Amino acid sequence: MAPWGKRLAGVRGVLLDISGVLYDSGAGGGTAIAGSVEAVARLKRSRLKVRFCTNESQKSRAELVGQLQRLGFDISEQEVTAPAPAACQILKERGLRPYLLIHDGVRSEFDQIDTSNPNCVVIADAGESFSYQNMNNAFQVLMELEKPVLISLGKGRYYKETSGLMLDVGPYMKALEYACGIKAEVVGKPSPEFFKSALQAIGVEAHQAVMIGDDIVGDVGGAQRCGMRALQVRTGKFRAAQHVLQGTCSGPGAHTCSSPKTLPEARSPGAGRGITQEGQSPPVVLAAPCSGNWALLWTAPCESSSRDSTADRRRPRACSCGAVVSLGCLDSAPALTFTAGTTWASPQVRSGAQAVLGHLFPVPSSRTPFQTTVHSPGPSF
Amino acid sequence: MAACRALKAVLVDLSGTLHIEDAAVPGAQEALKRFVTNTTKESKQDLLERLRKLEFDISEDEIFTSLTAARSLLERKQVRPMLLVDDRALPDFKGIQTSDPNAVVMGLAPEHFHYQILNQAFRLLLDGAPLIAIHKARYYKRKDGLALGPGPFVTALEYATDTKATVVGKPEKTFFLEALRGTGCEPEEAVMIGDDCRDDVGGAQDVGMLGILVKTGKYRASDEEKINPPPYLTCESFPHAVDHILQHLL
Repeated sequence: MAPWGKRLAGVRGVLLDISGVLYDSGAGGGTAIAGSVEAVARLKRSRLKVRFCTNESQKSRAELVGQLQRLGFDISEQEVTAPAPAACQILKERGLRPYLLIHDGVRSEFDQIDTSNPNCVVIADAGESFSYQNMNNAFQVLMELEKPVLISLGKGRYYKETSGLMLDVGPYMKALEYACGIKAEVVGKPSPEFFKSALQAIGVEAHQAVMIGDDIVGDVGGAQRCGMRALQVRTGKFRAAQHVLQGTCSGPGAHTCSSPKTLPEARSPGAGRGITQEGQSPPVVLAAPCSGNWALLWTAPCESSSRDSTADRRRPRACSCGAVVSLGCLDSAPALTFTAGTTWASPQVRSGAQAVLGHLFPVPSSRTPFQTTVHSPGPSF
Repeated sequence: MAACRALKAVLVDLSGTLHIEDAAVPGAQEALKRFVTNTTKESKQDLLERLRKLEFDISEDEIFTSLTAARSLLERKQVRPMLLVDDRALPDFKGIQTSDPNAVVMGLAPEHFHYQILNQAFRLLLDGAPLIAIHKARYYKRKDGLALGPGPFVTALEYATDTKATVVGKPEKTFFLEALRGTGCEPEEAVMIGDDCRDDVGGAQDVGMLGILVKTGKYRASDEEKINPPPYLTCESFPHAVDHILQHLL
């Protein structure tokens, strides 16, 4: 595998996710993730352009930036791309008057918006404000409309707070989609427009940028689909796999990255070997497949291939290339499950990107399902 | 078609078939084998009270509700549920351990579906707990208009955890199979009588039972054309259905 220097060739700008990468939100202003304050400072001292690209929709940019500054981060409101302002732009352009299903903390971002006689619903990470009553109000507004419009600030499934994992806006967006038989428009990651506006703000092209995030779908998947490179960190909502497989690998080696601070110092594994282990938790692996696109491989709980709950979740299926395949998806990416003792060449993945498997270590847990996913970018994704 | 089937069990829908709100369908107090309903709010006791007031001769263990289906499933899986059900439904889960839950049961309980509780359920599910849904109705009719049913919230948790719920209410197969479990009959030996073409008749036939659609309750003209295969029989009301059964299927 090419050394990091080569893999990051041409990078001029870095997009940074905030929650789960820089800090974990929670009581008392949240907690900075170890080393992140320093990492941001180093990035800013370098010649790289930096932009904060967040889906935070429970608080205003002012409040968020205030919190981060208090934790020691070098950040200002002008450097942040957030979904509420983007949504306001869309509302104004289309003459939409929203019922706001939001947390009071972000209401100030909508001060310029006419909310009388609503003809659409805007849903954000409302947290505690996701009461049945408020959900029902939004539902009733949508059902009354001839052309129901539901705008969702992001569609994340959950995020990490210091107290644990918390339901994000995505599940509630799905609830309203299901109830009304409609599809929401997503403003924020992983929508391409959102990434483009962040890139525009720092005057950097997609192929010259790297996104760092904890959300494999929203941050990494979305960024890669725009033509950026992306790095998955194992902090925040990233869930370490609890079940690992022994296997050997051939093909290019791969590397793990446990947090932003190791990015510039990443080691490159020996040629032909596999995943570098860091600590107990199974690795997040970046591998560069043949076309120059990135294939991201990591392990997370869930053995289930199909979404059929009645199927035996532990039963893998064989794929035509000989690899054992489990089809559980993350945003339609095929997933691969590796059984113990399997040897393979590069399994075919969707667009042909090559995946690399390495040595993974078992941590027995009968209750936690397990899934290994290969996530590859590219137009067919 | 089924004249040669040995009929051993009859499942009868409650609301709309035997009674409509608090009035009995004329002539319905006749012989029955079993009652089947999707109600998730009332416990069996409550249902029994209501039916007895209408002079139905029914015993408690002859009523099978979607709550009963959920209970059966919990007992078979041997799990301890976090119950997101209406308070009035709790008696049906009496005796089932709920401390240190490792399963989640979602019924029609709007007052329960607040952020805190859903988040708790979500964390259990992420740890591998199974999600059991009484049914996935999108919404229902309240005095003040339409109101979100349990379906959207089940969908929310399914999406959050990338899993699928086991739905136990009609028209799911689980429901009918669980209902028949106590009778010791195979689906082929049973007939379902109901007013909801899709949920009662369609669901029952999907599992191998015969379905009889009655034109009372929520029945609307041409409902029988909405499922494929069509109902084994469409008739005026429950007593007519019983007549048919007694004449042709025994």
